[in-house]
This record gives sequence, C-alpha cells and structure tokens, in this order.
Amino acid sequence: MASEQSGAEDEPPSLLWGLDPVFSAYARLYIKDILQIRESRQVPGIYFYKNHPLFQVDVLGTVVYKREREDFYCYGVDDSTGVINCLCWKDEKWRDQGDSVKGKGHGGVFNVEEQLRKLCEAQRSRCMLEIGDLLQVRGSLKTSREQREIMASSFYKVSDPVMDVQIARMLDMPQLYRDCYNKPFQVPCAELEAGTTDAGGASNIQSMLGQSVRILKEFLKVKEVPKFRPYDVEYLLHPLIRSPVSSTSTRQEATSVGPSFPTQVKNLLKETLKLLQREGEIFRKVLSPDELYHVTEQDKDLLAAIRDVIQEDSKREKYAEKGCHILHVLSSVRQRYSRNLSREALEVALKFLECNSDIISTTDSHYTVL
Amino acid sequence: MLPSPAVFHFLWEINTHLVEDGASVRTFAHLHHLGLFGRLRLTSYLPEESKAILTSHHASMQHQVSVQTTFVEPFDPIVGAQYVTLGEIDKAEGCSEAILRARVLNCVDGVDVALLQKAINEQRNFFKERDNEAGAQ
Repeated sequence: MASEQSGAEDEPPSLLWGLDPVFSAYARLYIKDILQIRESRQVPGIYFYKNHPLFQVDVLGTVVYKREREDFYCYGVDDSTGVINCLCWKDEKWRDQGDSVKGKGHGGVFNVEEQLRKLCEAQRSRCMLEIGDLLQVRGSLKTSREQREIMASSFYKVSDPVMDVQIARMLDMPQLYRDCYNKPFQVPCAELEAGTTDAGGASNIQSMLGQSVRILKEFLKVKEVPKFRPYDVEYLLHPLIRSPVSSTSTRQEATSVGPSFPTQVKNLLKETLKLLQREGEIFRKVLSPDELYHVTEQDKDLLAAIRDVIQEDSKREKYAEKGCHILHVLSSVRQRYSRNLSREALEVALKFLECNSDIISTTDSHYTVL
Repeated sequence: MLPSPAVFHFLWEINTHLVEDGASVRTFAHLHHLGLFGRLRLTSYLPEESKAILTSHHASMQHQVSVQTTFVEPFDPIVGAQYVTLGEIDKAEGCSEAILRARVLNCVDGVDVALLQKAINEQRNFFKERDNEAGAQ
C-alpha cells in the first residue's frame, strides 16, 4: 500500500493494473511510442502508454542492425517510426546440430527423428535473420543503460514477399490505437462498482460521482477555501456512501461483500478530486507525498502571477498587437509559479480574471491587459 | 549505434522535398534518413558502378532516383520488378539529383501498390492527427 501512495497522479495504483486488458496482452505499439513511454514510478519494468500499464510488446519491422553473441542475437528493428534493439536468445537445441546429421539414409521411410531434425532446422533458419529481413518479436520491455530494448520471448522471420503482412499491420495499427490504447483505462470506476454490489452499478457510480463533485464545488465556493487536503473534505462525502445502504439488511450484505466504508469514501474522493483537477477547478502546486490541493480561483498568488505575466509581456513587441497566447502564459506561469499547473486550471483562472475585468481576451486564446 | 528510423516516403517526394527545403536546410538534408516505398520499378542496373535506377509514376509524371547498391550487393536484379528500399539520401553539393545509399533493397514484385499507398497515408494521417491533438492541449 505504501508504494501505491507514492505513485503519480495519472498512474493507476498497481493493485488495479490487472484489470486493464492491455496489461496482460502484448501491446502492438509503434516503436516510436515504445521508446518514449514512461516507466512506472511504482514498479520498475512496467511502462505506461497514456494510463495503460504494460510490460510486453509485439513488434514487426525490418532488421537494420545485427550482432551475434554466443547465446543471443541482437537485432535492431525498424518499423518506420523508430528503431529498437531486440535481444533474441538462441535455443539450447541448436548447439547439438553435429550429431543430428547421422539420421540420413532411410530414403522413403517415414522417420520421426529425421522429421524432427528437419523441423528444428526450419525453426532455426527462421531465427537467423539478415539485414533487410522482416522480424516479428514479442517480449518484455526493459531499460538498460538508458536504452530501451525488448527481451524477446518469441521471435521469427516473417516471409512477406508482397508486403501484405506489413500492409495489414499498418492499416490495423491506427485503428487499434483509436479503439484501445488511446482510450483511457478506467479502473477506479470498476473498483467502486465492485464496492456497491448493486445492480446498475455503473450509472449509480456516475451519479454518485456527479453528486460528490457538486458537493465539493459548492463547499469550496461558499467557504472560499484557498487550499485543502483530502482528509479535510472527506466527511462531506459520507452521506453519499451511507445513504444507499441505510437499511440494516443491505448494510450487512455490503459489509460482508464489498470494500469497507472508509475505502469506499476514499475511492470516491479520489475520483472526485481527479475530476476536479481535470476540469481545472483545483490543482496541486507541488507533487509531494503531502496531498495539498489549491483551489484555482482562490489562489491569489496564482492569479497575481498570471496577471503579471500578461501585463509584462503584452508590452513586448511580439505580443503587443494580439496579447499573449495561452500557451505562452502557461509556460511562463509554470516557470514562475508552479511547474505542475495544468492548462485546464490556467483556463479557469483566466476566465476568473476576465470576469473581474483584470484581463481581456482578444481572441479565444490570446489575452492582454488594458 | 542504431541507425535512424527509415520513414516512409514516396519516390516523387524526394526531389521536391530537397528543392523546397532550400539552401539553409540543405546541410540538414545532406544526409536524410528515409525508406522509400511505393511504385518503384527497377529500370536499369549498372553493376560496374553499383548503381540502380528506380522509377515511379505519379500524377502522369515519371520520377526516378539513383540508388547506390554497394551495401546490398551481391543482389539479383530483376529489371522491371518492384522494389522496396531503405537507406539514406545523399544530396551532394551542386548535384541536382539525390542519390539513395541503400541499406536494404528488397524485391516485392506483385505488391498491391494502391493498398500500400493507402496504408502509408493512413499511418501519416494518424500521426498528423495525434500531433495536432498534442499541440492543441
């Protein structure tokens, strides 16, 4: 549980990784992405494409580099988006090829040994590739000496004389990304769903989440809270969890089957805070174990920093005509105030400033002061 | 240690690319990594010079590129067949035509060219879309 806490905001807790189908599959990613995806902060050897945890990949590409060692081959594979090293272990069986040649001379008769030898030979020949051959590799991903590589668990030469394997894959990949890898992995909902055990859980969760977001927003607004920690607001969500299981009979059921009451509240709060962050209502100035959230509209220092940036930079010739672009403001404020500020939070702050007539938008993404 | 990825390009893009890039980019384009795919037909092969000419038709124009085959020899040239090649573009100073130094030259005669072009374009569009999305965020 300790490691779970230290994980980054966008990394789902490791306990839930198994719920993502991508995790147990060989992910068919572009090599470019394989080289760029970040390693998990919780468990080394696990990588994240968006928020999908994965450690095994499936790659198809042209061999452009080759090195042979006693026990393995090292192939550089190019899929036109990137090049990655693949460590392919040689099979023990290949070593004793010498004596297997004896089995000849039984012409015409079906000889199991002979057939087996042929099979091994065929297998071996498909594992020895030259530059220019097409290679299919599946294996786990690892980073050694700052370099990503694939430890092959299976690899073979693909015969593709008219490129149809390559073409089919090229046509498949964008679709696969759109349908699967680019869709966010939403475990916590499933986890919460398991907690309620009621039928129609998913919609139940959504409405509960909607309510808790509303409650929290209302609270922050009315009380003009500038910053808070999760445990400060946890009690606000208690009525939400308690109400559906108020009758004694269902309560007994829930306690025996689902997670405990505090876990449910924690999960709900976690999701709520995530949503509020995504909307830019709140943000974390620094990512530290101490979970401190700043309320965007109440953060006087943030608002001042934004105003200053726009005020100063609008004087510069470059921005004189149109004002500062939002991305410029974002990078300046990140330098000045908090590296962790999201664009959404900045947008909320800008809107707030504009409502107060502190700044003026000239286009939908440029801001200036009078 | 590993070579740069060989990005898909159509043959007719090679020379236009380099011309458009202009003088300031020429040093950069001097060694340009790419894989050449598309309707490439081997039209001639001069073994003594280690040079092959690949041609391609696009928009009723014939385009061609010279391929230096030193790295892929010996190979069995089939004149008129379709090839896929992967290598570096070298554009010497003052020379109007780019030379491709092939690292891989594979015969893929019989390839469905239209489908291959579609696949290349799909892939490009996918990355373009993604870059745009990333830029917008």
